Amino acid sequence: MSSPQPASHDGFSALTRNVRRTHLPNGLTILTKEVHTHPIVAAMIWYRVGSRNEELGHTGKSHFLEHMMFKGTERLGKGEIDLLTQIRGGRNNAFTWLDFTAYYFTFASDRWEMALEIEADRIRNTSFAPEEFESEKQVIIEELQMGLDSPFELLENEVWATAFRQHPYHSPTVGWLQDVQGVTVEDMKRYYDQWYQPRNATVVLVGDFETEQAITRVTELFGHLPAGPEPPAMKIVEPPQRGEKRVIVKKITPVERLMIAYHAPEIAHPDSYALHVASMLFSHGRTSRLYQRLQEKDQSVTMAYASYNEHIDPSLFYIQAEIKSGHTLAAVEQAIYEEIDRLATEPIPEAELKKAKRQIEAMYVLGNEDVLNQATLLGEYETTANRPELPEEERGYRYLDAYLHRTREVTTAEVQRVMRTYLHPDHRTVGYLVNDPKES
Amino acid sequence: MEFLEMNANQIAAGSAVKHKGEIERVVLPNGIVLLMAENHTLPMISMSAMVRFGSRYEAEEQAGLATLLGDMLDEGTPTRTAQEIALATEEVGARLSSFGGYSHSGVGLVCLTEDFPGLLALATEMLTQSTLPEDRFTMRRERVLAQLKSREDEPRAVAADAFAELIYGTHPAHRPSLGYPHTVAGLTRDQLVAAYQRFFVPNNSIFAVVGDFSRRELQAQIEAAFANWQPDPAFSLPEVPTVERQTEPREKIIFKEKEQIQVYLGHLGIQRSNPDFYPLLVMDTILGSSPGMTSRIPRILRDEQGLAYTTFSSITSSAGIDPGRFTAYIGTSPANREKAIRGLRAEIERITTEPVSQEELDIAKSYLTGSFVFNFETNAQVAGFLVEAEVFHLGFDYLETYPEFIRQVTVDDVTRVARQYLDPVNLTTVIVGPVKE
Repeated sequence: MSSPQPASHDGFSALTRNVRRTHLPNGLTILTKEVHTHPIVAAMIWYRVGSRNEELGHTGKSHFLEHMMFKGTERLGKGEIDLLTQIRGGRNNAFTWLDFTAYYFTFASDRWEMALEIEADRIRNTSFAPEEFESEKQVIIEELQMGLDSPFELLENEVWATAFRQHPYHSPTVGWLQDVQGVTVEDMKRYYDQWYQPRNATVVLVGDFETEQAITRVTELFGHLPAGPEPPAMKIVEPPQRGEKRVIVKKITPVERLMIAYHAPEIAHPDSYALHVASMLFSHGRTSRLYQRLQEKDQSVTMAYASYNEHIDPSLFYIQAEIKSGHTLAAVEQAIYEEIDRLATEPIPEAELKKAKRQIEAMYVLGNEDVLNQATLLGEYETTANRPELPEEERGYRYLDAYLHRTREVTTAEVQRVMRTYLHPDHRTVGYLVNDPKES
Repeated sequence: MEFLEMNANQIAAGSAVKHKGEIERVVLPNGIVLLMAENHTLPMISMSAMVRFGSRYEAEEQAGLATLLGDMLDEGTPTRTAQEIALATEEVGARLSSFGGYSHSGVGLVCLTEDFPGLLALATEMLTQSTLPEDRFTMRRERVLAQLKSREDEPRAVAADAFAELIYGTHPAHRPSLGYPHTVAGLTRDQLVAAYQRFFVPNNSIFAVVGDFSRRELQAQIEAAFANWQPDPAFSLPEVPTVERQTEPREKIIFKEKEQIQVYLGHLGIQRSNPDFYPLLVMDTILGSSPGMTSRIPRILRDEQGLAYTTFSSITSSAGIDPGRFTAYIGTSPANREKAIRGLRAEIERITTEPVSQEELDIAKSYLTGSFVFNFETNAQVAGFLVEAEVFHLGFDYLETYPEFIRQVTVDDVTRVARQYLDPVNLTTVIVGPVKE
């Protein structure tokens, strides 16, 4: 294949070439990448904090805090962040997950610096007015209930909670209802003061701007802030699972659902590349193995999907399926195990392996036309790929190139080895969502 | 900080949107309308190739036909099996998909420039020589039936379907695009073949291609690829009945064992060709569909009252060939039901009776002109725009005319269109969830 070359001989892919990383003395990281194809700038700030950092009884705080960041600061009244964005024809939003919380703006390139001004203000000056806090709590409870109405979300919550008994990946990012109900302004303020600090943040700018000017502006706005406290180390390590766990969720539903999850390694672990390739082989596209087996041959599911998202700590490799009526959860589960065994033991045709790797590479080019997607990818890797074992030149956003490079080198033998190591019956948690007609 | 002192008037001039390549429209000898825009920033090409066919043109007793036909275009051609078609796309990491929609069906392609010739050949076969094999047909029909069952588990989809049924009566837009279980179960391959032969003709098609190519070469490529596709000189689209807005309230409540209730409130909307589209777009932005919590409904019902995570309203987003829907939506706890509905109705009524403020108007206009640029960032977005411009006669100079249409809107325009197109009395209300009468 001639293009796209994900990582060329100099080690940079199209996404990482010309990215500049700057560190301010207070620990703030800045990533800039000029892209002049459209008069647009994507501006993000990433905080290295997510539900991973929440303690028992205090779940959902990262997410709640994300909501509060739109409720105003000492200078900006409630609703003004949205209003200022809207007036300038921009867009903004935020998201949070296990390991990170991120805020973004997209603006036309003649007015994008507004994003920096807002972030430089709310990184330290967010107000936690009690009445705003209580009203937003109701919104979050509605969001949580909305999630419980989604059958897969309900099942996922139970499976993660069962698979992780100690590590905070046990809890959903939106939090458990009682924790959300019980959180106080003081809890939230403490959490904010701990994590929303320059040393724990990365500003990412991609688009139509001039790098020197942009860095100067970030420095003017953020440079005077103190670094903030050292982030506490996360010491909880999930102990090895000793045997299969099973969980059944009962709900009135016309369609039963399945989730099979295996403990899998953290980001940048040497075994992670082969697991990525395995997830592509399992379920990416109509020629993939689960599609061929479950949709084409058995015709037993409406969908089946394998997923392996890397996180700072070891997480899960999982497979989900939605079962067609006339078929059983147990039969689909068994068919999935057969496909896992087949991948682990039978030779993988060279063309199939090549296809999976090319699909990974093409996703990076075809999926990153817009500047916000590019900024998101850079920000996520910069925030999560920080294992001290990684060589300096492969840390943070540079891990993207290492990842693409190593994925291309994955062999059949490696895929088979990681299948045997990680997708082992003793390491799995199986969740069934079953119809419970008694409830009605 | 200086931003605190700025006001809307100072920045109401939106940023200029320029598309780097020229847009060209040609009609090929067999009638294909070909729209092209070059963009050489990345080595990739997006193509949207479609015919005027969709659930709008299917018979009531064959509801679901267009979706199933669109789904099946990639299930076989004279030279390739379904498996071979999938492999040809996936081994180069491209995206090639076929679809059946409400008014258009066809094929979408996103690929690297070097893979385009091979995938164009494949797309050509799908559009002109799909074999719609019987065994694949049976399998796909089963899958649609399973999807319909799964849809029963999505309260929001159930509510949206019931809402459309009540608003459109017998007009084709009342039908879910997937069809109904009893109509899908009755579909036959012969019905699909008949629709394919009738509607998939070059003089009923629009192709939009955007990306890394030279227009002259691309036109020659497409002409050669589709040279054997014969036009039907007698082709015409079926007549579709008109639809009237309701003159009395309607209500439907569906019980589902869920945490939240899904509420849809509204009535018949407008066509995209309506000259009042632009003042209505400004009205939507003020009332319920700007981003963040800036428009009235999300600001008041979510941000101030904490009633919901999601709430909005819009009349322009569903405007198409046929009138769309004016929709106000909220997903909330059952205990909030009365308060939420009262809140939505109050805001709908207020915008029809009180003029909006000059500041709200300026902010909405500023947002609409300033954010227009985001609609043209990817090749696929530009291809989608080209088709829209062709179908609704927007003009390919729309990038220049659109900001002008928005700038002309006044406070009086917004009040006039709100009164003319919103009816806070004669509303359809649909509630799905753990509803207690």
